[in-house]
Amino acid sequence: MSSNIKSIDPRKALSLEIDFILHNLMRIQGVSAVAMVDIDGLITHIRHNSEVNTDAIGASVQVVFGAATKAALHVGHHVTNMVICENAEGYILSTPIDAGFMLAMVTERDALLGKVRFELKETIPVLKKLFANYLLK
Amino acid sequence: MHWFESQLSSLDQLAEAYRSSQPTSYDDIVEVSEEICLKRSQFVHAVQALVNKVVRIKGITACAAYHDGLILAHSGKTPHIDALGAMIQESTGVAQQSSATLSLGEIEQIVIVGAINKIAILGVGPITLCILSPRDTNLAHVLGQDIKKHINLNT
Repeated sequence: MSSNIKSIDPRKALSLEIDFILHNLMRIQGVSAVAMVDIDGLITHIRHNSEVNTDAIGASVQVVFGAATKAALHVGHHVTNMVICENAEGYILSTPIDAGFMLAMVTERDALLGKVRFELKETIPVLKKLFANYLLK
Repeated sequence: MHWFESQLSSLDQLAEAYRSSQPTSYDDIVEVSEEICLKRSQFVHAVQALVNKVVRIKGITACAAYHDGLILAHSGKTPHIDALGAMIQESTGVAQQSSATLSLGEIEQIVIVGAINKIAILGVGPITLCILSPRDTNLAHVLGQDIKKHINLNT
């Protein structure tokens, strides 16, 4: 039976890899925060260059994603791959990773949405694989 | 070689380098993620650099690059930048349908000429490049010349 308690080495390696990926995502023009959110809406990793309420963002991203997933199911769209919130001062993009974890990105209004989405879409398979490897260990 | 063609060719090479850096097996994706990231970054920076260069040519109003209809890079006066992306997606879809019906092959470019302005849409790797200019601009001519001769010194 697999346990949720892992030895420290794989956790440390995963953490470093995630930090590296978040660091790369933060380099995109207009991105102000990138966070990994667990199934309970708690932030496990975060990088930000402006004041962000980490507790609020984690919980609200999970709530919004849950609502969007339900909406997608109601209209027969099956799996939700990404939720984009367009706000007066920027965007929030959230994408599911694995085991209820999500990647959330907060951007300024001047961020190039196509660029952010392109990077995010290309990064997700790497994060999914990292999590899959970790959960198997 | 035509200046713009040579630029597109360089971009195509970077897009191909990025595409080929992606592993054939999903199992290897973590090992090569750093290289993929680097190639992607090179490609995206080259797109932004080309967009910046093109817009400095006299007779070009704006230049923008889109991915799946969403803005990736832009320079110059681009009115309704999001609407333009949606329009490009729509035009590309229609062109692809026509291409299939008429056996034209893969769509390489679309030019829409209006009474006042015109727009050229070109596919480069995963992105769509779009050039706006006044109707009278001879795009083939201005984009074909050595860029140094055509850069608008007033900008």
